[in-house]
Amino acid sequence: MNPAIQAILFYIFALGALASALGVVVLRNPVSSALSLACCLAFVAAIFFGAGATFLGIAQLIIYAGAILVLILFIVMMLNVKDEKPAAGNWFYCIVGVVVAAMMAGTISSAALRLPGATKGRCPVHVLAEHANELSPVPRGAQATHPPTTPSEYGGMLPPVSMKEGESDISLLGKTLFTHYNMSIVILSFALLAGALGAVAVGRKLHRD
Amino acid sequence: MECFWTWCCDILRNPTWFYLLTTVAKLALVFAVILAFVVLSVWIERRVAGWIQDRPGPNRAGLPLFLLRPFGSKKTQPLAGLLHFFGCPPNGRIARLCRWLRLDREIPTFGLIQPCLDGGKLFLKQEITPSYVRKFYFILAPMLVLGPPLVAAAVVPFASGVNTAFGDISMCVANLNIGPLWVFAVSGLSVYGLTLAGWSSNSKYPFLGGLRATAQLISYEVAMGLSVIPLLMVFGTLNLQEIVSTQATDGWTLLPLWGEGLSLQRWVLWIPMALSFLMFATCIFAEANRTPFDMAECETDLVGGYHTEYSSMKFASFFMGEYAAMVIGSAMVVTLFLGGWSIGFGADESLAAWNQWVAVICQFLMFLVKLLAFIFFFVWVRWTLPRFRWDQVMKLCWLVFIELAVVNIVLTALILYFVK
Repeated sequence: MNPAIQAILFYIFALGALASALGVVVLRNPVSSALSLACCLAFVAAIFFGAGATFLGIAQLIIYAGAILVLILFIVMMLNVKDEKPAAGNWFYCIVGVVVAAMMAGTISSAALRLPGATKGRCPVHVLAEHANELSPVPRGAQATHPPTTPSEYGGMLPPVSMKEGESDISLLGKTLFTHYNMSIVILSFALLAGALGAVAVGRKLHRD
Repeated sequence: MECFWTWCCDILRNPTWFYLLTTVAKLALVFAVILAFVVLSVWIERRVAGWIQDRPGPNRAGLPLFLLRPFGSKKTQPLAGLLHFFGCPPNGRIARLCRWLRLDREIPTFGLIQPCLDGGKLFLKQEITPSYVRKFYFILAPMLVLGPPLVAAAVVPFASGVNTAFGDISMCVANLNIGPLWVFAVSGLSVYGLTLAGWSSNSKYPFLGGLRATAQLISYEVAMGLSVIPLLMVFGTLNLQEIVSTQATDGWTLLPLWGEGLSLQRWVLWIPMALSFLMFATCIFAEANRTPFDMAECETDLVGGYHTEYSSMKFASFFMGEYAAMVIGSAMVVTLFLGGWSIGFGADESLAAWNQWVAVICQFLMFLVKLLAFIFFFVWVRWTLPRFRWDQVMKLCWLVFIELAVVNIVLTALILYFVK
């Protein structure tokens, strides 16, 4: 795609995402807030599509916009949550809010600034692609000289995978997840399974007879 | 003229313009086909319902014969007068075609005009917006129901591709690598329409309908996603155009009678594929809110469900949205399991070798025929099976389909690994 068109679309979608994210906070009706969160997620999915991460975008649409937010909406409607009254100038809440917001902003901006090439105003993915050879992950198992001790040695930054012609990002994602991150996937799915079992245990009816 | 022709060629040679023009043409075609099929499926629904219940169904509305009055009144055989006027022989082909279309009867053309008249009736009816509704969402909801199925149609391939002098055209509006996922994601968004309609109507029955719609659609989306995984494992791709071309050369998923389909593996794989087909088709029924599963609008418990408070064209949007979802669901089933546009038995390749455009047109017609056949099946099921109870619907999804789908995935993996 033409880079200029790509940039224009990116700014349109990013503005849309920001506006609808603002709507989540500003709108007083909980249903409106939930819907603008859905809009925000859809705009972010559009940005993912523009960046070529089609699977990520579609997963965002299916899972967040299509299922989780619908459930949130379901609960908001079921409990019939009324419009929120604006908080009447409580200075304590103001201070706590500002502190929490500042902490979040600091965390995100420091993480963003630490991305490779961020201070030079360059795209991190491109910078990583240029230095792909230096960033190859620490070898494991028999090739490792000593057992990993620091977090960076457990894997470090993954080199960006360049897509071959005719390979979709889904197969690439599958290969990465089921080879490099196989153990993490198994552990995570056990955690999810435990969560599901817990929900069943909490939600089931107790028969006392 | 010459100058204009060279100008057209120049524009088509530019790849951006070529892409843009062909995409717009395909978009218009797909849109027209979907809307025509929405209307047609309403007619099929009512006629088949009449046929199944042993009554005539809508058969009074036909071509407006009063336009033919200059050629003689209805009693004095307008058809004969018309044929005579144009100089056609009374027993020729045209006359026979007209008789087959029942133009000489009192009741012409099988009531085919009925859906158009229904549309006109709904359009002219009084539009009532109750005073107690939440206006913005009340107006937004019908749009959210009608929109997603039309957008989801973008990835459905309706013919194979052609190579022209200016570039290749793939007969599919957006040839994405995530075809089925796109359909699931976008048609899953129509649940917002049902939920918001139920909530914004601000009355009891629509609200219950909206809640039921939300729970049912979300549950069946899970089962639907799991049920197609065996199929994707067999094809190894998510691109619908590739899935269909594989079926064209190797045999349809449910009919592996030629090409690779003759191998033992494909015949053993037929069992999980048939299971997958059953589950997927049932989930499509549930997603389209059709009768065995139309819990959200069942008139015996909920008056009209989420669209109780709607009237005129807003109601018609819900109505059309339901039929559009049915058409898209049928198109997905046809694409994934019944060979999509493929004519079958190796006829695609020989036709394409003879003339690409003829092949594309034949494949398009084949796709439409399969689509019509599956829509007929949809209607047949609706008028044959009684409605489930609400708890049965949810149990069927969570206690039967999801488990069965997971077992089916494991079964397919074992067959793919062990049977060669």
